[in-house]
Amino acid sequence: MKNYPIWKSFTVVSLVLLGIIFAIPSIIYDESSENWFLKNKINLGLDLQGGSYLLLEVQLDVLYKEELDNFVDSVRLISRDQAVKIEKINIQENEVVVFFSNKEKIKNIRDSFFQMYRGITLQINNNKLSIKLNDEYRKIIQDSAIKQSLEIVRKRIDESGTKEPLIQRSGKKRILLQLPGVKDPERIKDLLGKTAKLTFHIVDNENTSALQNNLAPFGKIIVPDMYDENTKYLLDKRAVVGGENLVDAKGSFDQTEGHAVSFRFDTEGAQKFGKVTTNNIGKNLAVVLDGVVITAPRISSAITGGSGIITGNFNAQEASDLAVLLRAGALPAPLEIVEERSVGAGLGADSIAAGQIAAIIGMVLVCIFMILIYGTFGALANVSLIVNLFIIISLLGTIGATLTLPGIAGIVLTIGMAVDANVLIFERIKEESLKQTKVFQIVKNGFDRAMSTILDANITTLIAAVLLFAFGSGPIRGFSITLSLGVIASMFTALMLTNFLVYMYLSFANKKELKL
Amino acid sequence: MFGLNKIIPVEPNINFLGLRRNFLIFSILAILISIGLLSIKGLNLGIDFKGGTLIEVSTKNTSIGELREILSSSYSDVSLQEFGNENIILIRLQNKSNHESIETVNSVKNLIQDKVVEFRRSEFVGPTISSELLFRGFQAVSFALIAILIYIWLRFEWQFGFGAVVALTHDVLFTLGLLSILNVEFSLATIAAILTIAGYSINDTVVIFDRVRENLRKYKKLELVDLFNLSVNNTLSRTIMTSLTTLLALVSLFIFGGEVIRPFALTMIIGVIIGTYSSVFIAVPTLLIFKFRPQDEDD
Repeated sequence: MKNYPIWKSFTVVSLVLLGIIFAIPSIIYDESSENWFLKNKINLGLDLQGGSYLLLEVQLDVLYKEELDNFVDSVRLISRDQAVKIEKINIQENEVVVFFSNKEKIKNIRDSFFQMYRGITLQINNNKLSIKLNDEYRKIIQDSAIKQSLEIVRKRIDESGTKEPLIQRSGKKRILLQLPGVKDPERIKDLLGKTAKLTFHIVDNENTSALQNNLAPFGKIIVPDMYDENTKYLLDKRAVVGGENLVDAKGSFDQTEGHAVSFRFDTEGAQKFGKVTTNNIGKNLAVVLDGVVITAPRISSAITGGSGIITGNFNAQEASDLAVLLRAGALPAPLEIVEERSVGAGLGADSIAAGQIAAIIGMVLVCIFMILIYGTFGALANVSLIVNLFIIISLLGTIGATLTLPGIAGIVLTIGMAVDANVLIFERIKEESLKQTKVFQIVKNGFDRAMSTILDANITTLIAAVLLFAFGSGPIRGFSITLSLGVIASMFTALMLTNFLVYMYLSFANKKELKL
Repeated sequence: MFGLNKIIPVEPNINFLGLRRNFLIFSILAILISIGLLSIKGLNLGIDFKGGTLIEVSTKNTSIGELREILSSSYSDVSLQEFGNENIILIRLQNKSNHESIETVNSVKNLIQDKVVEFRRSEFVGPTISSELLFRGFQAVSFALIAILIYIWLRFEWQFGFGAVVALTHDVLFTLGLLSILNVEFSLATIAAILTIAGYSINDTVVIFDRVRENLRKYKKLELVDLFNLSVNNTLSRTIMTSLTTLLALVSLFIFGGEVIRPFALTMIIGVIIGTYSSVFIAVPTLLIFKFRPQDEDD
């Protein structure tokens, strides 16, 4: 063999072998295998294996509004302590403006308020105190809300029995979920759609005029019934105890009440609950979930054991889902689903089958065409093309990339485009063969001359693919990955493997002249 | 050694540039019509960019008409479409807000539960997301075009960059115009196709420009028109071969790749044909406006 260094043949052959060997795990595709080698297989995207992709947005506006309400309550308390009368309170989008009857103690009020809410912007203007939610304060609220929401979402998803979920923050106020293999996305969405804020409040049965006028006095709230929104309760605004003190909740069945949720408090919760039930025997205790009263039984005796049951018109599924929600805890703010893409396993399997057929037929057509046009050289290019496919598969498997339906399209497209480099080389060889007769010189010149064109042509495609990855989302990224890997692999196979094969062929066939 | 490659002569001598006026007129017309179509008819935006709900179901012994009847009593803006075969039906709904839509999916599913064998997929894109996706798609295409142009500008003289821009703009607009006429759904996958077409078209143009540059050094006396013609002819068999193999793969994807990927494959097929045409008939003739050598001043 003329001019063909041994190290080069060694490199080419070993890279090809590696490419083929590491494609094996993806070709066998043993899903459950724990073998270190067989684990290096391609991950199938949700559109191929079935599953749900959800994008949730934390409703921060609700939180900001809640915080403004807290400001109002606190400022009322402080001014009561300082014996200053409030004339008027304006709640605006971003700030609360409080008008006091006199301005003597306004600085004291401001200082005590600042003690409670550090970092807030406070401004005094005559008898007017404005309390502003500034950007930093909002950011603190936002970050802690996202962090908490992530944790709660993770717990709820785990409780729902979904395997290998991916849950992560996305951008400023969103949470991204990928749930492979989920069969009933509606149930998951139901679980995530509830805030599940559980609180216990003492019912005020004495002040009937408040309910009639639908106007709650300070320190009280009016809450509708869960099943009948015309039934309303007047409750103490302050919760006796809340869902954060729960340590366990389970769906249970009660002979007289039907399906119910039994729960248990932690020590602190049990103490609070015991104290309140002892002091309020005879009154009603309302169980409030997300702004509606589920039930409001009369306290007949002190409950000091720290456990109880919540009854309502539940069926078994509802009771057990409520238990899941209570165990996982309340979301700091409601979550809104802003994007959903769920694919059933049937469509996923169809897509894989269709993609495989398209790839195989595309491959066969291109191979036939190459042999028709370039004969033996075409057959050599076909070997490169097949190796190219193995390399793409093995790279996808070893880097743990995710194969999506557009990704399969990228592979099929690569099959068509990968021969380009070979074509460029062969066309150059064809031209060179008209200029001289030395076989190996022709081949060498052909490869050398084609090199810069191949690089230029492929780099432009790579640029497009990389930017697609940077700006694209989900399945489209799968396309840019397979396209980039395909382009890179095709440069290797054309410039090194085809080169090697052509030299081999020419030396073994002992060609004295070259006509392409 | 056998081979059909002799069909295309090793040194073909076709006068491509002689026909340049005809093709220029054709392309200008095509671009004007495309722009007109895009501004009047617009693109058939899918839910990725328009927002809304899409549910794919497979049915048994239920006609599309029956389903339509059930759903249209509750939803005025529902549209149904057979997808690939008569047992698979796509249901589309336009949603107004995020909240409404999730309920929509649930209630649609409940309404047709007993007529459906399998819910194959359900997609929902809220209004905020769809406008973000549109913006990001636009961003991706713009940045890709700019990056490709910078690359061309670094590797070639600026005149080539200009020729490439003209060809690229031509390809993207022409393809979009055809998508509008054919009413192909415009989705995230279509954006990917457009970007790939941009890459492919430049790839094709670069190969010819490479040869033009080489020939400019080699044949100092040759008239520019003849030199460009020679360059196109030199690379002709490669241009045809690569386009054909790419098209073979894409046609296979179009026919066998399944319904979901079909708009993508169709867009790519259109783009590859237009990209190949423009490299030869638009990009190269554009170079004629420039004087590459002092002696060509009469040209």
